[in-house]
Amino acid sequence: MTPPAADGTIRPGRILVVDDTAFNRQLLARLLTGIGHEAVEAENGRQALDRLRAANEPPIDVILLDIVMPEMDGYEVLAALRDDPALRHIPVIVISGVEELDSVVRCLEMGAADYLPKTVNPAILEARIASSLARKRLHDAEREAVDRQSATNEVLAIMSRSAFDLQVVLDAVVRAAIRLCRADYGVAYVLDGDAYRVAASAGGTPELDHWERDHPISPGRDSVVGRIAILGEAIQIEDVLADREYLATPGQRAGHYRTILGVPIQQDGTISGVLALTRNEVEPFANPEKALATGFAEQAAIGVANARLLETIERQRGQLARFLSPQVASLVSSPDGEALLAGHRREITAMFCDLRNFTTFSETAEPEEVLGFLRRYHATVGGLVVDHEGTLEHFAGDGLMVFFNDPELQEDHAARAVRLAVAIRERFIEISEEWRRRGHVLQVGMGIATGYATMGRIGFEGRYDYGGVGNAIILASRLSSDAAAGEILISQRTFFALDGAVPAEPAGERMLKGFSRPMEVYAVEPSERAAEVS
Amino acid sequence: MASPIDAATFANLLDMTGGDQAFVDELVDTYLEEGERLVAGLRAAAAAGSIAELVRPAHSLKSSSLNVGALELGELCRALEEEARGGAVPDPVARADAIGAAFAAANEALLQERASR
Repeated sequence: MTPPAADGTIRPGRILVVDDTAFNRQLLARLLTGIGHEAVEAENGRQALDRLRAANEPPIDVILLDIVMPEMDGYEVLAALRDDPALRHIPVIVISGVEELDSVVRCLEMGAADYLPKTVNPAILEARIASSLARKRLHDAEREAVDRQSATNEVLAIMSRSAFDLQVVLDAVVRAAIRLCRADYGVAYVLDGDAYRVAASAGGTPELDHWERDHPISPGRDSVVGRIAILGEAIQIEDVLADREYLATPGQRAGHYRTILGVPIQQDGTISGVLALTRNEVEPFANPEKALATGFAEQAAIGVANARLLETIERQRGQLARFLSPQVASLVSSPDGEALLAGHRREITAMFCDLRNFTTFSETAEPEEVLGFLRRYHATVGGLVVDHEGTLEHFAGDGLMVFFNDPELQEDHAARAVRLAVAIRERFIEISEEWRRRGHVLQVGMGIATGYATMGRIGFEGRYDYGGVGNAIILASRLSSDAAAGEILISQRTFFALDGAVPAEPAGERMLKGFSRPMEVYAVEPSERAAEVS
Repeated sequence: MASPIDAATFANLLDMTGGDQAFVDELVDTYLEEGERLVAGLRAAAAAGSIAELVRPAHSLKSSSLNVGALELGELCRALEEEARGGAVPDPVARADAIGAAFAAANEALLQERASR
């Protein structure tokens, strides 16, 4: 009896008969076909190895091997098989005369699985083939399991490396599904609006692939993807040419596929795509292959969900950025954000900017005019802060505070702060021009200091700010108050950190509120235009 | 004199193939063609006195003869193969002739069997 397969059907084997005697080959081949197997013949060892290594032939399950042969005998074949990792697992049954027991022993020692007497007995032949086939099948099943496991691991590894790169994940899923489900073409469609579009594909002809990419699929009975969109479950069409409702024929004509399996890519009952596999022959996908495809679709679903999550985070970050400085917005949604928000000590450069004469201006001008001016001032200064990659801590009426080197590290934080101050001073001249002509002398004064501060989330539940506490911040604030109109005062530490990057000169020692001893202060040289105005 | 072909073994061939007479006829043709060549090979090796070269043809003719029912011929081949492997065959030409005669007898008996149907 041919061994029954797990599902109860007879699974014939492909048996290679190697014998130099045509009579023996013919007889054995006939007996093998008589019990349902497929027989392949070789006249000597050389031919046998050629057939075993032929890439375009289906694999051999069992070898019936004669010992005494011209060109390459049975021993040499056994040695060659033992040395070939791709072939050494194929069971070999040695055909031997009863008087050749010594040779049989030698063959068994060389790895043969069994032996068969030369005088053919069909019952013995059948039993020996069955036992070797069972052995081969067991080995195949093990190897297949290992293969599946390693393909699944491969996809998982890719997913953990590039969890948010949907393309990489889908490419890996499609490739693995084609290989393990023995498909000719595979596509991962992803729902985009109300149609399913090709997101990844492999194995198809360029014509088929173009057609698929150019034709997004809508829900409907005319395609597998469309049916899955309606029914929400895996669908197989054994032969698309025999399915009256199947109308995706231009693609079929371009690809010549016959059997299609489609499984939904879904999470929590919502379909976000379809994994489709096709075969060019009418050969339905078996249950284990469907189960594999479903597994791959689940991995694709995780990939799609991750990508959507990333889109959401990006969108939220974009919205957040309208309220927070971009650095803080990205910090909130970054992996180490929580740790940074919790508080950390770091050297920063703080910059304060204040308007001079603003109180007089706001008392004498109309409120609408004041607000109009502030809007322009905020927009201009806000843009400059972003350009210089400063972190805006607050923006209150006429004053603002910006710091550098946090949360993002900036090696040249002192220079950035000073350049920002210079830029604000320049641009402020343009903004205030009109008001100056109307008699309002508006000016800015700025203070900059470098030093350590504790940075992080400041405030209370419901109203947090990102800010800092430290001497450098207080010093910058005092310098800004002490600065004359159009003046940029910087601390000694900022001056040394600048290292000449922006010209500045000593501006004497100053007693500042809250500091017990006089501070050495430097002033950033006014540009020609600024000097001229003041 | 007993037939050179063992009737039971021969009948078994037909039996094994599920009564496929056409196949058995084809198989017999293969046996006869191949046997012819193997006997010629034996004679040539014997005439040349190359004992080692007797092994393979004797071995091949032995197995197919035993399967087709030419038991006596098969036995002659088995003995020759064994001695040739040992390296000493006193009168190789006479042994090859004996095998040739047994093959001719088997040949005739097989063709007769076919003609008798």
